[in-house]
Amino acid sequence: MSAPATTPAAAEPDFVQLLNDGLLAKFIEAVGEENVLWRRDELVVYECDGYVIAKNSPDVVIFPTTRDQLVATIKICHEAGVPFVPRGAGTSLAGGALSVGGGVMITLTRMKSILEINLRDRYAVVEPGVVNVWLTRALAGSGFHYAPDPSSQGACTLGGNVATNSGGPHTLKYGVTVNHVKGVELVLPDGSTLVTGGVVEDAPGYDLTGLIVGHEGTFGIVSRVIVNLARDPEAGRTFLGVFDSVDAATETVSGIIAAGIVPAALEMLDNLMIRAVEQAFGFGFPTEAGAVLIIEIDGLEAGLERESHAVAEIVRQNGGEVQKSIAWRTRKEPEYVAIWKSRKSAFGAIGRLSPTFCTQDGVVPRTKLPHILRFITATGEKYGLRIANVFHAGDGNIHPILLFDERDPDQVKQVLLASHEILEECVNVGGSVTGEHGIGVEKMEFMPKLFTPEDLSAMETIRNTFNPEGNCSPSKMLPMGGGCIEKKSPGHHASA
Amino acid sequence: MDRLDSELSENDLGDGLKAVGIDRPDSIGALQDAVRARSASGQAMFAQGGRTSLDYGGIPRCAGAIIDTRKLNRVIEYPAADMTITVETGMTLAAIAKVLDAENQRLEIDAPQADRATIGGVYATNSTGPRRYGSGRPRDQIIGVGFVTSDGNVVKGGGRVVKNVAGYDFPKLITGSMGTLGVISHVTVKVRPKPEASALMVFAYDDLNVVASDLAILNTSVTRPVAIELINGPALTRLGLPHSAWAIALIFDDNEASVAWQMQAIRSELAGKVVRDERDQASAPLQGALREFTAERIGPISFVANVPYSFVATLAMSVDSAVWAIQSHAGNGVVRAHALVDDLARLEADVVKLRDLTESVGGNMILSLCPTDRKASLKVWGNPRGDWAWSEKVKAALDPAALMNPGRFVGNI
Ligand SMILES: Cc1cc2nc3c(=O)[nH]c(=O)nc-3n(C[C@H](O)[C@H](O)[C@H](O)COP(=O)(O)OP(=O)(O)OC[C@H]3O[C@@H](n4cnc5c(N)ncnc54)[C@H](O)[C@@H]3O)c2cc1C
Repeated sequence: MSAPATTPAAAEPDFVQLLNDGLLAKFIEAVGEENVLWRRDELVVYECDGYVIAKNSPDVVIFPTTRDQLVATIKICHEAGVPFVPRGAGTSLAGGALSVGGGVMITLTRMKSILEINLRDRYAVVEPGVVNVWLTRALAGSGFHYAPDPSSQGACTLGGNVATNSGGPHTLKYGVTVNHVKGVELVLPDGSTLVTGGVVEDAPGYDLTGLIVGHEGTFGIVSRVIVNLARDPEAGRTFLGVFDSVDAATETVSGIIAAGIVPAALEMLDNLMIRAVEQAFGFGFPTEAGAVLIIEIDGLEAGLERESHAVAEIVRQNGGEVQKSIAWRTRKEPEYVAIWKSRKSAFGAIGRLSPTFCTQDGVVPRTKLPHILRFITATGEKYGLRIANVFHAGDGNIHPILLFDERDPDQVKQVLLASHEILEECVNVGGSVTGEHGIGVEKMEFMPKLFTPEDLSAMETIRNTFNPEGNCSPSKMLPMGGGCIEKKSPGHHASA
Repeated sequence: MDRLDSELSENDLGDGLKAVGIDRPDSIGALQDAVRARSASGQAMFAQGGRTSLDYGGIPRCAGAIIDTRKLNRVIEYPAADMTITVETGMTLAAIAKVLDAENQRLEIDAPQADRATIGGVYATNSTGPRRYGSGRPRDQIIGVGFVTSDGNVVKGGGRVVKNVAGYDFPKLITGSMGTLGVISHVTVKVRPKPEASALMVFAYDDLNVVASDLAILNTSVTRPVAIELINGPALTRLGLPHSAWAIALIFDDNEASVAWQMQAIRSELAGKVVRDERDQASAPLQGALREFTAERIGPISFVANVPYSFVATLAMSVDSAVWAIQSHAGNGVVRAHALVDDLARLEADVVKLRDLTESVGGNMILSLCPTDRKASLKVWGNPRGDWAWSEKVKAALDPAALMNPGRFVGNI
């Protein structure tokens, strides 16, 4: 393969001038005035996503309400040669929806119909702005569900999930977004449309669906998704395992996986997180515990007893205690809802610990969890930082949350250094710098640590194939072909 | 069965073509050198693993060299407790199974001819067996890949951890790419513990309408089979099963208690008559036979149709059981058929008719076996799809000189 031409960073025209010279009128004609924002004060909301550290306002925000309007909008951008960036709900924690260098932002939240649900053929067709949990709700009681359940599912869109290949607590057993997408419709940066996959499982040709999932908006804009619907489990058990130390909890995680048990979910909270969550929700987490594990197994009732005993035994062997055991038939039982609400809302509780914080997203082989958690503790001590942990332990997907005060520039510096060291250690032990939040603008500097120049060059070649002028989501994901954003402060966001 | 390796001459490229040379690299570095050298002299390259599917796909556009991957047969890393394994491309499924066996684990890929089929070949062809209903397809197991592009570089995507969204998903792109983007050098896949118990049950039917309603019941059954196979009379005979017009075979994998319960529960759900129910080792021969039947060669043509799940019975109804042996992964909407007769005119007419039918419901039909001289007229990959233009662009991006398996894939890629 020849070395790909590097795409120049999208030119930065004098946007206000362009808008006044007719571009704005064209957008308004395409989507209607009510679906265009261009006044400065209205644009502020769109200057960042969940990665609040990097901010830049787009010059105009368009909200297409139909696919035709989306195509028309992109064509206008293409003809004018201006950069544009897709945005869903803006919950990205990596600056994926940041309007680098300004230009047009295309927000998909008004394309929000569930177009079809077909239970017999186990698929649903949705527009990109459909919020993840809407689909869950639409399917409630049907015996089927859409499996990927990011903790942000109450806000994030399926288009955003497809763009970032989102995970969630239950993706340990059931797979991430790419395992549940059967086909997509992508509007390319020139306004043409590519339809991949379909309602059937295999189609001749490259697995472009698989390639497009996780493209982080760098190929075009997803205008429709065909998702797979999975059977609801017949029954389950959700345990709260309580431990004196983080070490004991992570050893338990490794023990469960090594014993050949594939839990539906396996999530960990350390003491700092437990206390914050308990203050916020009063679920009954033991505030003295060093760590707790939420361990969920599911399947057929007939087979669950044995596995329950095995899980409890591994917890005990590691010095832990099973303090709650919720047996459920549907995911609607109050105690079940309460424990998961506590877990999925954990980020909201962090505000009680610290005014500002920075959530990291790294992955290690599951057997390296005890090591990386010790490393995180040591790194916290080294830099004098408090670090809370709440994460998808069963996948080895850590989310250390570094607490700090942004008014103290020293602390800010320490947080950046500590984050960097933790992520580097993930790479050193054979892991990755992102399990689900994406590279966005935040982690481009790590790409050369994970990949060789040959790997990156192939990726850039692919990006240039779909997005030859580089006008769609410029300066994202790949370190070449666009400027890197210099990071000065670590931000306030949290997640998992 | 497929042709034995011994029936092939060492320089067979498939479709009657002969190779201009053979490379047998025994390390990834040697693979890169071989590819670089062939590239430099403008020679096309045809990766071969277990040589189980040499005639699969379009006719090679030109002759070229064979890159035999079978000496790339090492385990690179097997952290059993992480439930992942990284292997070189030329390891056979059987060799991998043996390594995993020691830890009571297995690959979630039940492709046929495991003692010959290499993992690289399985990934290149996206080969699947009955258990795809329960464990997904090869694309659902792969988490990392390396492939050597025509310039001799190893390009990697993904990694060795089960969750990772850094960079484009090359593991998915490579899966099913028919070796047209590069020679796969290694893959990292997820593995799973072996189930404690397994069972196979066969239900017989006279009436396909009853089959259709039982398939609908299976879609919401209280049990969770890992394979739902629909088989017609001639296929049953070849599998050594009692004759009936149709049968549904189910496989259950789980712990003892669950499997025993499912075997009971399913009896009251389905209308079909139970003609076999076997547990564990006793079920192994028939489970194996079902897996191997996917690669059976009976007549000159075999097809694989992909249709919506609800359409399987309708499609089966349109296939003449006197002419085709059918095995359908019914829970996945995959209908495989092997010709029972040699009458090409008749078979061709059926292919055209059945393909129209599958395409009318958003499906497709490929020919997994087809005489070389009929490949063009019968379109082994089916009628062109809208996204093939993009497959061509991706091909041009990663293999600009078109040296990797030229002609084999869709749109003459
Ligand atoms: C509290 C909290 C918890 C979280 N928990 C999880 C979790 O458990 N698992 C997880 O994976 N993530 C999690 N996230 C991250 C985030 O929610 C996901 O990345 C989500 O998929 C983003 O969806 P969105 O609609 O908000 O997309 P945005 O943030 O608006 O955009 C994300 C990226 O997708 C692109 N994009 C958006 N829509 C489209 C489209 N239609 N076509 C093409 N590109 C598009 C954008 O350009 C951007 O690059 C969490 C975030 C928060 C704030």
